[in-house]
Amino acid sequence: MIRGGKSYVSSPPAFSNDAKRLLVCTGNTVSVFSTSTGLQMGSLEGHVALVTSVIVVPAPSPAGRILCYCWTASLDGTIRYWDFSTPELMKTVDVRLPIFSMVIPSLLSQQNESSEKASDVFAYISVENIRAQETQPKALRGQVRKCNLTKSSLAGGVTLKETKKPEYITISSSGEFFGILDKQKLHIWKVPEIESERVVLKRIDLHHTKKFTVFAFHPTQRIVAAGDVTGRILIWRGFGKRTFSMGDGQANGRSINFDEDKPGVRGNDDADNCSTWHWHPHEVNCLVFSSDGAYIYSGGREGVLVVWQIDTGKKKFLPRIGSPLLYFVDSPDPSLASISCADNQIHLLKMPAMEMLKSISGIKLPFSPPEAVSSLCSGCIFDQKAGVVALHTENYGIQFYSLFDDHAISEVQVCERNHQPGNEITVVVTQLALSVDGSFMSTVEVRLPEEDIGGLVCLKFWTSDSQDKHFRLLTVIYEPHRDSDISAVAFRPTQLMAVTSSFGGDFKTWVCGNEIQKGEVQNTGWTCYAVGSYKKRPMTAATFSADGSVLAVAAETVITLWDPDRNILVAIIGDAFTPIKTLSFLGQSGYIVSASRGSRPQLSVWSLSKLSKLWSYSLQIEAVTCLGDPSTFAVLALLPKLATESQGMALGGRDGAILAFDVNKPDPMAVWSVRKAEGGALAFLQGSPSRENFTQGKTSRGLLAFVNGDHEYVLFDPYSDEATEHGVAHRKGLVSEETEKYGYSSVYGELQEFNHERNQTAEIIIAPSEKPWATLFSGSSQTLPPLTKLCSAFLESLLEKRTAVVE
Amino acid sequence: MEVEPKKASKTFPVKPKLKPKPRTPSGKTPESKYWSSFKTTHPLDNLAFSVPSLAFSPSPPHLLAAAHSATVSLFSPHRTTLSPTHTISSFSDVVSSLSFRSDGQLLAASDLSGLIQVFDVRSRTPLRRLRSHARPVRFVRYPVLDKLHLVSGGDDALVKYWDVAGESVVSELRGHKDYVRCGDCSPADANCFVTGSYDHVVKLWDVRVRDGNRAATEVNHGSPVQDVIFLPSGSLVATAGGNSVKIWDLIGGGRMVYSMESHNKTVTSICVGTMGAQQSGEEGVQLRILSVGLDGYMKVFDYSRMKVTHSMRFPAPLLSIGFSPDSNVRAIGTSNGILYVGKRKAKENAEGGANGILGLGSVEEPRRRVLKPSFYRYFHRGQSEKPSEGDYLVMRPKKVKLAEHDKLLKKFQHKNALISVLGGNDPEKVVAVMEELVARRALLKCVLNLDADDLGLLLTFLHKNSTVPRYSSLLLGLAKKVIDLRLEDIRASDALKGHIRNLKRSVDEEIRIQEGLQEIQGMVSPLLRIAGRR
Repeated sequence: MIRGGKSYVSSPPAFSNDAKRLLVCTGNTVSVFSTSTGLQMGSLEGHVALVTSVIVVPAPSPAGRILCYCWTASLDGTIRYWDFSTPELMKTVDVRLPIFSMVIPSLLSQQNESSEKASDVFAYISVENIRAQETQPKALRGQVRKCNLTKSSLAGGVTLKETKKPEYITISSSGEFFGILDKQKLHIWKVPEIESERVVLKRIDLHHTKKFTVFAFHPTQRIVAAGDVTGRILIWRGFGKRTFSMGDGQANGRSINFDEDKPGVRGNDDADNCSTWHWHPHEVNCLVFSSDGAYIYSGGREGVLVVWQIDTGKKKFLPRIGSPLLYFVDSPDPSLASISCADNQIHLLKMPAMEMLKSISGIKLPFSPPEAVSSLCSGCIFDQKAGVVALHTENYGIQFYSLFDDHAISEVQVCERNHQPGNEITVVVTQLALSVDGSFMSTVEVRLPEEDIGGLVCLKFWTSDSQDKHFRLLTVIYEPHRDSDISAVAFRPTQLMAVTSSFGGDFKTWVCGNEIQKGEVQNTGWTCYAVGSYKKRPMTAATFSADGSVLAVAAETVITLWDPDRNILVAIIGDAFTPIKTLSFLGQSGYIVSASRGSRPQLSVWSLSKLSKLWSYSLQIEAVTCLGDPSTFAVLALLPKLATESQGMALGGRDGAILAFDVNKPDPMAVWSVRKAEGGALAFLQGSPSRENFTQGKTSRGLLAFVNGDHEYVLFDPYSDEATEHGVAHRKGLVSEETEKYGYSSVYGELQEFNHERNQTAEIIIAPSEKPWATLFSGSSQTLPPLTKLCSAFLESLLEKRTAVVE
Repeated sequence: MEVEPKKASKTFPVKPKLKPKPRTPSGKTPESKYWSSFKTTHPLDNLAFSVPSLAFSPSPPHLLAAAHSATVSLFSPHRTTLSPTHTISSFSDVVSSLSFRSDGQLLAASDLSGLIQVFDVRSRTPLRRLRSHARPVRFVRYPVLDKLHLVSGGDDALVKYWDVAGESVVSELRGHKDYVRCGDCSPADANCFVTGSYDHVVKLWDVRVRDGNRAATEVNHGSPVQDVIFLPSGSLVATAGGNSVKIWDLIGGGRMVYSMESHNKTVTSICVGTMGAQQSGEEGVQLRILSVGLDGYMKVFDYSRMKVTHSMRFPAPLLSIGFSPDSNVRAIGTSNGILYVGKRKAKENAEGGANGILGLGSVEEPRRRVLKPSFYRYFHRGQSEKPSEGDYLVMRPKKVKLAEHDKLLKKFQHKNALISVLGGNDPEKVVAVMEELVARRALLKCVLNLDADDLGLLLTFLHKNSTVPRYSSLLLGLAKKVIDLRLEDIRASDALKGHIRNLKRSVDEEIRIQEGLQEIQGMVSPLLRIAGRR
């Protein structure tokens, strides 16, 4: 069983101390990526639920940069300590509460007190109180608690704050302060200098009128910046002077000084002043101070990284990232940083210039197309031989993602447009089809009209010469079915032929012309071969049989069978209640499965030899796939709403099921219940991931791939009962690390090491010259010392020297 | 090794919709590029009579001889201006056929009076007069490997083999049952030749066979044979007659190899053309059959792949074609006295090169001045240096050139972009910008914000283009919206009213056209239905 397709942007990533690796929370694991190549190097596996925090233990000295230890916290209620160079689990702390966020202040401030090893390491965690009653409307489920990592126990009774839901904890880079956001309030605690379980932490609150989204601490000064939902950035200077200094045991005479002038500061908040910057049109998602404290990086939904100079408020931009920004993470290497985008991509930036060096892209997340075309959009498409899934991306493209290797292969830009997050979507790629050998792709894009003018449907054919899925455009067909929308595109398995069916009541078959040039076949382009229609009814689905001899087109509720070469109607079968959405032939066998949706959904199996229905179910079907055995198939069905509500607890949030059927029996052979089945896809992959992994005795007959509505996927063998987990095979292997210079050495090169020993030996070699006075007077006369001084030296040199050997 | 920094996003300029390409890849393949590189600078059209025969001299400089009326004109095809260098007019009747001897010193010409004359090319005096044919002579040929004999044939259905020096017929070959129109001598054997006749038969003769009436091999072309040639290998023969050119394997006993039938009218003349002779030496030479017909087409046929690789149209029925042995000149004669002589540019370059080599002694290379730091050019030295093989190239990122409207669109100045593109006169670009504005949901807002002058510009554009079928789906809807949105402004201005009147007129016209087309459709569709029922 292979799982993959996890989100890379569920929580902020972390750089290793040498900035050569990036630790990314990917579902239940933490993946380690190389920053020089952007490829995955390994993963930390052990958590059983979503990993929410990863903290790399900072190196106390430059020599310790190679230390690779990190703490991770997860929703499974454990905190784990890893050596991520070897991937090895070193310690587990079980707190039994789902952890949403964790900070460890002592890691950041431990440099000066490295001698005091005895002190315990404390972490502050944001947990969900699962004991609080769900039904209670005002239950405070989020808690900020303290945890003793050395003793592996929750600090008893210390609950710093209770909030409605668990909040993300932010810590200052010196480890002095940490805080959380709670709606319009900002709670900041000062970490006590001497940590113990029972010490009382001081807290200040800062208020605002809008809901906060993110905040950050200045690395050296007492400045805190916070972003809100309207896109404003508030900066408080000198926060907590009153409260926190009191605890330090200093004079507190000024503490009750209310009439002090505090511009911009609300009420009785403990800060000197507060200023506001406003550039972002939407909410601010990430806000980070640069390591020297001179700049603030901020980003939001509009996909622009803004760099503010703190003193002047001047701005610099990195525009057109193309997706909402979620996190910005600085690395120990000053020339490297990373931004995480909502489209599941992490970009590595070369810092002062803000150039994108590399992108680590995960599987594209689903997006919701506009209402008008959402019924036209097809889901993801599989290349069953290569184990590749093709997904629609929000920026009008197609992503090819290898299911076996769990990494993106390539992206094809279907429409030549830039996507601006937040804008209304007016161009949508609705349909997508891949030929069986994967060398041809067909896409349909729809440009939505503006008040009924300027709409356009466009069919494109693409070709790729190699297996790397770099498609180039071959043919563009504007308005293939006049102005009516296309309901399905399918390729013929045996020949270069494709079919498009439209709601305008006809279908067209397309053929690709070939020309032999310089000994190799050149495709000249796709042209229409034939047009067919049945009683002017809207055509809702189309597919070819596996041997290519029959073309089945669904004309709303009936299935019409055609001879694709001669374009003759052969037979008509079926009568569904609602328009058929999906048609699929079962391998080489003479059966066809149809699925219709709507008010009376139906799954039917038809026999082509008898031209009659074998059996049918009333089920909402999301996807149909034929299994390796020609007479079996699997469907992804949505469970009826009623059933899920009544048995909600029993199913554990599962809303769909994969059912495997044999054609001859209406009883399912096997059932797997799944989560987030809506918008999911199902395919039977014929290839096997890697030879090495599957040499354990049995020959693999292929794997069933299920991609759920969040584009997370699982591959499993439908014929075996055991659910053995195979790690994702990283065929690329471990990426060899390049030693890269940074800091001083990147500018001036390595410092030469001074070899003292050699200098000493050199001294010994020098032998006294025969005539020491000969050099005494060399040089120009004005540089010579006065004669009176030279005289003694001269006379001395004339004297015979006693060698040291005699002594 | 060139690492380009990854960009967050690319700039996509608005592009007009693609136009469908013609199905035939004209002017695209290297083959058709080659054949259209024979540039006819000015066709020679002062001959006034049809040109039934053309001949190139086999020896350099490959003189071209053209027969028209009772005259033979000699051309030196490598001159820049094409005009006859000499003419021979000692004929009593129309000249029918010409042939150079293999060394290019003698020219044989036949005329319709039945006389064959042999001329010295230099002095153009008739050296021999061969008279034996009683009827018009239609072809005369010098053998390729033989300087002493001639072959001729005529309307008396006889083929004669002459001894030129003695002006006597060596053998008279009877076998054809109709006019003998054409013939060719084998490039491999001095004693063999083929003749083609209007009795549809092509016969291969061998003069060593004493029985003068029996051909060595004969093939039936199926229609009156207009021309026959040996292909350079000597084993294949191409015949032209009717609408077809056929290729026969003589060694294989007269088996037909292929029949090329892409002419629409009678094929009148064929010859062998070569491709790529100069560039790549003997191995690179590719042979083609060039055929011309009364349909005015010249076709290039690749008989190794059995495919017509190029086709070219001339505005008159074509009668004869010749291709110079150095493959630089192609001459085509028409029935109305025009001679199309196409020359290849490459030849002139080669000649120029040769001249350069010859004149090397006289032309001095310009002495290069040593650059000193006081020169301006000193600071530019080396900037135009070409990188050598192993150099590491640091590429400057390519600058994308953007049109004015693209720049404005990039700045989201939608109205200005629309005005800027309307100012140009490329309707495709205007429509592309409008489509982009639709995708940005900004077109109608732009229309609302246009001031009177720019609205006039937009209405003029709509008047001109809204009925063009390619744009009408967008523009007709837009025109309606524009009128709805800006009704008040249009009422207020006379100029705008004028534009609207123009627009209305063009729409009325379009409606009339549509009605006419619908009538035609109504007439045609029953016919199609009846035809489909059969």
